[in-house]
Amino acid sequence: MNTRRTLSTADLGALVGDLIAAGTTVVAPIRFVDQGRASIEYGPVQSPDEMDLDGPQPSRSLKEAVFPPTEVLFRWRQAKSAVEIEEVPVSFKETVVVGARPCDAAALEILDRVMGWDFRDELWFGRRQATTVLALACTRCDESCFCTAVGLSPASTRGADWFLTPVEGGFEVEVLTLKGQALLERHKARCPEAEGSTTKRVADLEQEVRAHLDVRPDRIRAWLETHFDDALWKRLALRCHGCGACAFVCPTCHCFDMVDEPDGIDGGARRRNWDTCQSALFTLHGSGYNPRKDQAARFRQRILHKFAIYPKRFGEVLCTGCGRCVRVCAAGMDLVAILAEIGRTAAERGGSA
Amino acid sequence: MNLYQPHLVRIEEMVDETLDTRTFKLSFEHAAVGEKFDFKAGQFGEYSVFGAGECTFCIASPPTRKGYIEASFKVVGKVTRAMRRLNVGDTMGFRGPYGNHFPLDQMRGKNLLFIAGGIGLAPVRCVIWNALDLRDQFQDVTIIYGARSVADLVYQRELEDWARRSDVRLYQCVDPGGETPDWKGAVCFVPSLVEKVAPSPHDAYAIVCGPPIMITFTLPLLEKLGFASDRVYTTLENRMKCGLGKCGRCNIGSVYVCKDGPVFTAAQLKTLPPEY
Repeated sequence: MNTRRTLSTADLGALVGDLIAAGTTVVAPIRFVDQGRASIEYGPVQSPDEMDLDGPQPSRSLKEAVFPPTEVLFRWRQAKSAVEIEEVPVSFKETVVVGARPCDAAALEILDRVMGWDFRDELWFGRRQATTVLALACTRCDESCFCTAVGLSPASTRGADWFLTPVEGGFEVEVLTLKGQALLERHKARCPEAEGSTTKRVADLEQEVRAHLDVRPDRIRAWLETHFDDALWKRLALRCHGCGACAFVCPTCHCFDMVDEPDGIDGGARRRNWDTCQSALFTLHGSGYNPRKDQAARFRQRILHKFAIYPKRFGEVLCTGCGRCVRVCAAGMDLVAILAEIGRTAAERGGSA
Repeated sequence: MNLYQPHLVRIEEMVDETLDTRTFKLSFEHAAVGEKFDFKAGQFGEYSVFGAGECTFCIASPPTRKGYIEASFKVVGKVTRAMRRLNVGDTMGFRGPYGNHFPLDQMRGKNLLFIAGGIGLAPVRCVIWNALDLRDQFQDVTIIYGARSVADLVYQRELEDWARRSDVRLYQCVDPGGETPDWKGAVCFVPSLVEKVAPSPHDAYAIVCGPPIMITFTLPLLEKLGFASDRVYTTLENRMKCGLGKCGRCNIGSVYVCKDGPVFTAAQLKTLPPEY
């Protein structure tokens, strides 16, 4: 499926207006100004004017649209010995994401694998099903971006239902999935068919991103799989505070905790909350024993999970090169530099050294 | 009902194994769920106390006994403390069974050696009773069990039962200093008892469960006795939350203990990074 359409900037605004009027939730990058500091975040918009599609990458990833930071799994009520459980719905309100970054859209598809592996997470797939993703080709990057090193690009259409490429006066639209087709059917009038193929891939930007980091994920993996005890881990992890900010802004980090939150004395809710393998509590046994005893082990786990474990289990890297972990780290842990170093060492010593 | 929502179970009976270890006998509140429920020896579940959270335990009763499951727990953290406050008739939550299991089918017709330390007898007890309930399908059954002290031996009533049976060989020990004047068993650590008993590896499978220090010393002993490392089984107990291969907590390298385990062979353990 690949239908090419055009969409003027005005028509995109009108389309968003139509969606909101029809009761659909529209999530888009929004500019916030807090004490004089501007930031861009994905959030629900009330009107098309709130969208900021030209700004830099939103500072938190899109994953929270499908995987909220905290989410009720069920509620219970207790009367003496008897317990009653109240289910939560697994079907969700229709949502359209406008202006998802390619690195964020791809992450959703990558996470489908772990969420659907054997046991199907109905909450994840319920939201996935209800969410249509209109991704937007990246037109700007910074030195932390490295999507090209993990097989994506500023124009990668992965995980998108529609892919928008900025052209003069608006966008060219590629309709990529059945879900995208269904959205198009309802809003055909706004999106006339494109005359010929005018899409110019964002080639310049791709070169720019490639210059930040040029590594081969298969070499990185081979090195990681044979260097569990390398001195590199202790050295790199010296700076890590274990705060987990990297995991929370990451579009692909998906580890979670499950906790009970009482509501009065006779009931409450069990929730799942984002968690991070960077915290010592993450693996601490009840006995006090901790199999990941220091920050080096925990930092190694994060790198291994993304670049060796996930590829081995699910066939692809658990990273989209969005660069958020680099930007957010208070200690200056720089995944771009770390991967470059591993890449260099792997090339020098060979994967099986 | 999403996959994180537990079934309701009722505490039918409880038995104090030691001062800090208790066994609950649980039945499913909804008969239809109970009738459909089936599991294999070695699988685990997520047990809930509403308001405190969930905890991971093996199913300590054998699958050959239908209509209920048992969980033995030691008071260690928040959930087990809350479990300790529950009484017969109270309601808990249960999700499961999860994980892989001991390959009893493969073990049919063979000699079985069970080695356990402390509360580690719980998962092993499930396999012991499973085998004893189908006694004619197996050859010799040998059990080597030890705890810190006589007061720390769990399932004492069943140990007496196994000691009396002519078709079970039971060897027991307590750590030096843990014995009582009338203690008839050995006074040593479990690995020393294994060395003394020197079970034959011939046509045998070994199932080992206990504290990490016991495992560390017992596995090389079994190897020295001639047990092939793919015939020595143990269970791992990494911290878990979901039990479903999602929450990312129990990984040891690329292995998810909740999905690929909790049962592993000694041969498999050798290939894992030391994060268990």
